[in-house]
Amino acid sequence: MKNLLVVSCVSDDYKAPLSMYLLKNCLSEVVGGVEQYAKNLDADIMYLLPEGEKIDDLKGDVRYTNACSPTLNNPYSVVQVLTGNIPRPMIQDDYVAVFEDKAVSVVTPEAAYGIKNGFDEKFVAVNVGGNTEIKKVSVGQTVGEVANVDGAKAVLLGGLKGTFYAPADAASTKIEATEKFSSITVYDQSECMVDVLVQIMNKTYEMSCGKCVLCREGTSQFKQIVTEMTTGRAKATDIDLIKEVSEIISVGAYCPFGQNMTNPLTSAIALFADEFEDHIKRKTCKCGKCYKQAELYYIDPDECIGCGDCIDACPEEAIEGKDGYIHMIDQDLCEQCGKCVSACDEGCIKTAAKLPKLPKKRTKVGKW
Amino acid sequence: MANVNLTIDGKAIVADESKTVLEAALDNGIYIPHLCHHDDLHPNGGCRLCVVKQEGVDGVITSCSTKVKEGMVINTKEETVEKVRKLSVELMFRTHPDECVGCPKYGKCQLASISQYVGDAGREFRQQKLPLIENEENPLMLHEMYRCILCGRCVRACSEMRGVGALKFEKVDGRMKVVINGKDLADAGCQFCGACVEVCPTGSIRDKVGVFKDDPSLSREQRLVPCTEGCPAHINVPKYIRFIKEGNYPAAAATVREKAPIPESLGYICVHSCELQCKRNHLDGPLSIRNLKRFAASQDDGSWKALSFQKDATGKKVAIIGAGPAGLTAGYYLKKLGHEVTIFEKLPKAGGQMRYGIPSYRLPREVLDREIAEIESIGVEIKCGQDVKSAAELKAQGFDAVFVSVGTHAGNRLPLEGNDLPGVYLNADFLRAINLGEPLPVGENVVVLGGGNVAIDCAESALRLGAKNVVMTCLEAPDKMTASEEEVTWAKEDGIVVENSRTFDAIESENGKVTGLTVTGIEGLKFGPKGPEFTRIPDSTVTFPADTVIFAVGQHPDINEEFGLELNRGRIVTTDGHKTSVEGIYAAGDAVTGTRSVIAAIAEARAAVSEIDIFLGGDGNIEENLAPEQVANPCIGKNPELTTTHRTEPTVTDADTRKCNFEPMDLGFDCSKAGCEASRCLQCDLRVQISPQKFWSDYISEEGGQQ
Repeated sequence: MKNLLVVSCVSDDYKAPLSMYLLKNCLSEVVGGVEQYAKNLDADIMYLLPEGEKIDDLKGDVRYTNACSPTLNNPYSVVQVLTGNIPRPMIQDDYVAVFEDKAVSVVTPEAAYGIKNGFDEKFVAVNVGGNTEIKKVSVGQTVGEVANVDGAKAVLLGGLKGTFYAPADAASTKIEATEKFSSITVYDQSECMVDVLVQIMNKTYEMSCGKCVLCREGTSQFKQIVTEMTTGRAKATDIDLIKEVSEIISVGAYCPFGQNMTNPLTSAIALFADEFEDHIKRKTCKCGKCYKQAELYYIDPDECIGCGDCIDACPEEAIEGKDGYIHMIDQDLCEQCGKCVSACDEGCIKTAAKLPKLPKKRTKVGKW
Repeated sequence: MANVNLTIDGKAIVADESKTVLEAALDNGIYIPHLCHHDDLHPNGGCRLCVVKQEGVDGVITSCSTKVKEGMVINTKEETVEKVRKLSVELMFRTHPDECVGCPKYGKCQLASISQYVGDAGREFRQQKLPLIENEENPLMLHEMYRCILCGRCVRACSEMRGVGALKFEKVDGRMKVVINGKDLADAGCQFCGACVEVCPTGSIRDKVGVFKDDPSLSREQRLVPCTEGCPAHINVPKYIRFIKEGNYPAAAATVREKAPIPESLGYICVHSCELQCKRNHLDGPLSIRNLKRFAASQDDGSWKALSFQKDATGKKVAIIGAGPAGLTAGYYLKKLGHEVTIFEKLPKAGGQMRYGIPSYRLPREVLDREIAEIESIGVEIKCGQDVKSAAELKAQGFDAVFVSVGTHAGNRLPLEGNDLPGVYLNADFLRAINLGEPLPVGENVVVLGGGNVAIDCAESALRLGAKNVVMTCLEAPDKMTASEEEVTWAKEDGIVVENSRTFDAIESENGKVTGLTVTGIEGLKFGPKGPEFTRIPDSTVTFPADTVIFAVGQHPDINEEFGLELNRGRIVTTDGHKTSVEGIYAAGDAVTGTRSVIAAIAEARAAVSEIDIFLGGDGNIEENLAPEQVANPCIGKNPELTTTHRTEPTVTDADTRKCNFEPMDLGFDCSKAGCEASRCLQCDLRVQISPQKFWSDYISEEGGQQ
């Protein structure tokens, strides 16, 4: 069977957008590395680029995809995307992914660059305050030499699979050739770490390919639990739950992404235990980021006609009531999705930061 | 293939190097939980239940997708792997409904079974239940994806196993889901094979209620292949249809012949209960199975003869009374079993109702003659014109066994005023006379009482004998008539008037001549233990003018006590299979069951033959493989025409021509029509190939009750 080497430019971590940078700025080195690798494999070459990108000087078989997944460095996952499916990896010692009768191997532009130029140098995405700057650094330099971490609150090395460091520890950490050092993200003192983790877990959930139960449902649970920490619904036991479960997931998940996706959360909890505890137990956010959007939904008891439409619309089964009785929203279950508002013809479902006086038990319509 | 040695849970195991760790363990009675794995699908590894610990390897390994290697030391019950499994089950149940009892898959759900085995750590995860949406778009399958745990077996079965790809994963509002791969079902290209249902471990994708029989006495194969199950003789319908599709018509004919010695006659007149069961009834109408059979049988080249068994002569003699479908079938198989067979037939020729009941425009006599000659050719002796008065006496003449298949050649006469006037006929007499070449005279106006296929035969025959106005009238409403739908349609095309929901009051006469039939409209018809029950509609009494009245309200055997067998309401009583009241005398067919069908008579006769053979010292086995082996390709691919090609109708002579003679009117299929119709088959039998789902209790019981 013939071989195919796919240069995947769609597997970058969102904190380390190196693939397109390298194609745009170091095309000849990348192509050189790819060709060298392909020659060793006796393989044809295909470039897989994000939809909308274009590299004028890139010749040969170039294809585009809307998919973007950490699993797209896995040959099976790449074949899935090339055949119109969603990405999901196959990790099996003897498995050969086949596309158009060719055995597929995958390389990233970063690795191709390394093949050509050696692995003493490395590209690092430095993310500070929403800006990303890609720097070429030497392996062995410290993080502190590459990014200014003075006075920062925390440093994340490695994006969605990465680990949070205290700035002082990060500064002295030496950069290695591994993927972990492809991104350095600096968080300043104004950041709420719980809020940061909400954003990270949202992204992790989005990036999870959904193949393995532990990653798919784990990211979904973590996303919800961390979000609940910002709205006051998380429980004191959630920290231990996360720690315990993360340990199991890091062993049991199917692929490296799933195994490592717990790192940002567990390392942040280890570094900022007090901040997480404040959110959960005292329901406060010192940075003032959380508890803001905590708009509560309630059913105006003077207007509710007890029709049940909102009950049907609620995906959380958070609305209690029966025909002719004023309906009530269980605030512990309500997800603030707002679907009940559009379902109510009477317009009696309202929002407020603080709930007015509402019925506590079943009350007939008109008896309030 | 080389063997490798490994250790699983301390047990030394030798396994072929192509095996996975999971397979090696299961083969050796060591159960490893697994859910996304299915024997017929490529390993997946997503459920994380089959993880095991390998000595010297960090973390866990996925046993379903790891091949065995020399010297491996595996622990399937180590603490970490147990934790991983528990967590996985726990997380699956955060989206899957907790309540099992209300689920139609209750008791047959692999998830529930595994969760019992693995257990639950009881952590305080968030409930993330999915909206309770049912998708009924598929006419055969129900999607309740709120039960889906995303094991992906259905997606893999549809793409890998079937090559269809009608299902896919997609993120909907951020959450991974299994969805139809297209804008609608037709776009997705569903081939209705049911592989997705077969592999689904939960109640997410199920057969719709009513598509298959929910009868626990049926085997999986019987349940899943409704046409074959619906055929009294259990002819392997999907197999011969596939042969037709492949263009191997003789093999198709041979497949039919494995269960019935008169394939072509059946092709003309079978009541095709297979078609009633066809799964395509739920789509756009059943396969035209009978016409496919007829076409295949017409292409028989006799190649099956080389494979047909013929046992050595046993020296035993069997007499058969009646050369109808049951008698001919019994004679054929008894002869093949080595017994000497003599069939005694009262009428001038063999064939029974196929010759003296069913009109020749439905079953050409040369077809029947040819198939009877085939039976005679193996040495079955048929003595016609022999009226056997007593079965018991016949047996005493030196036969080791007697098989009675005298059919129902006497028509039922209802107790109506004027029922014995000249010009009042019984169905059996009327049809027999035509086929003896001496038809009874009919007048201009003929009224037939009855709503079954025999009534239609009488009405159509009367028309062909010159009647101007033919009326059929029956108790049943149009949708409850026992006559087949197409026959009713044809009758109406021929100008026969069908008057439904009437009770018969009296046959009117003047000067001893029939002048009409008086009937009254009815409603609320039910058949109770004492016969029909209904309400007469006031002021609905009418008289249909008639000079000929034909009773077509059932038939009974033309025998009495003198025959020497115990009778019940005119029918022969059988017990313990097909034994009559006299030892060594067996009976089957219409004479036992009342008027049924040719195929039912054949099926009964086959069963009786086995009993008789055992009685005579044989093993009773009449099964034979006459058709070549068939490899049914499970990879059916996406054929967009499968669902857009509708039932092929046979070429039929137009009404004006056919109603004037007794020539065949349904001309059946030609080669292209047959191929086209055969390609409509949904190949329900492919689903039987799929390995049935197993539960941990299945593996552990194999181990001898390990806990």
